[in-house]
Amino acid sequence: MSTSQAIYAGWMEIPTSAVNEDARRRAEDAAIAALVDQYAAALYRVAYSVLRNPSDAEDAVQEAFLRVLRHRHSLAEVRDHRVWLIRIVWNIVLDRKRRAKTRPETDDVAELARVLPAKGLSQEELAAAAEHHARVLACVERLPVKEREVLLLSAFEELTSVEIASVLGITESSVRSRLFRARNLMAELLDYERNEHERSLR
Amino acid sequence: MNSNPHKPMSSAPNSDFGEETLRLIAGLPAPQGLEERVHEALGAAPCRGHVLAWPATFRAKTVLESNWMRTAAAATIVFVVVGGGWGVYSRVEQGQSGKVVVMPARVPASGGFAGAGAMRTPETLPGPKIGEQATPASTDRSPGAPAGTKGTREQEGRSARKPAAPKKNRIAQPAASQVAPKPVAQ
Repeated sequence: MSTSQAIYAGWMEIPTSAVNEDARRRAEDAAIAALVDQYAAALYRVAYSVLRNPSDAEDAVQEAFLRVLRHRHSLAEVRDHRVWLIRIVWNIVLDRKRRAKTRPETDDVAELARVLPAKGLSQEELAAAAEHHARVLACVERLPVKEREVLLLSAFEELTSVEIASVLGITESSVRSRLFRARNLMAELLDYERNEHERSLR
Repeated sequence: MNSNPHKPMSSAPNSDFGEETLRLIAGLPAPQGLEERVHEALGAAPCRGHVLAWPATFRAKTVLESNWMRTAAAATIVFVVVGGGWGVYSRVEQGQSGKVVVMPARVPASGGFAGAGAMRTPETLPGPKIGEQATPASTDRSPGAPAGTKGTREQEGRSARKPAAPKKNRIAQPAASQVAPKPVAQ
């Protein structure tokens, strides 16, 4: 084979780098699969705490991992995968909630009574607990956005204030001050709700 | 006592701000089979990279590996590119000067105003020429009064008492300024 023939033949050949590319892609797929197994449940809980709808939360988790798949090349640059994934799903659920503002959430008492654990409670106690939870969630919805976000994320045991700050893109001191304000507001709102409830019973 | 300084909610375990509810919701278990469904969704996602390939008809060995075919294709590409470039180059004439409209030189009118560089000026009537006939028209005015001013009331009254010239004559005799000078016979 002459030199020119060898050059021509090389035009349509698969280069050796493609083999490396294929191997790299397989490694990325395996890494994403490991992330799904490890963090899908945590992401679901984060999504559910905002959306309060099981199917919407699951959709948000799937969308988050699809985004990861789309940006698989930057996977190696991520330092903390857990916080990174929570940040992705957090942005997705906030966006969804903003768009579906008019759609009613499953905040009704019956749905909460079905979802929340009720070990060792009678039917009346369960109904009262569900009603209380619904009232609390209604108060959470009345909080300002910044305070509400911090309060919701702070309910997750596995997230520290540093990680919450990283998810929200603010400083840790901001997290603390917002959480302080959120707690005070919640206490006031719940007090007001309780007084109103007692007045209506009288 | 706060056991974890970086865990914000652990600092107030008994306060009533809905912590229990939020913790309950945050601790809800994920539905069964969530991971499998996510794996399926990722497997069905059309985001695999594709390398550009020849169409199936060109993938046959007889066509793809024949050198003359590749040479002909390369020659065709070169011919099209060079021919197109030459076509454009040949249509552009070098050194062609732009079209210039030469305006005729204007001759300034003698004795009039300057044109101030105007492209076109309208024709104007010739200026007034004062002749011998125009002098009697100014006899009505008093000698001290200026030509352009009106006289006093007394003068106006006096002139009103004077018999007016017959209209026929005034119409027949136009103002001296409007009478064109008659050409002098030689």
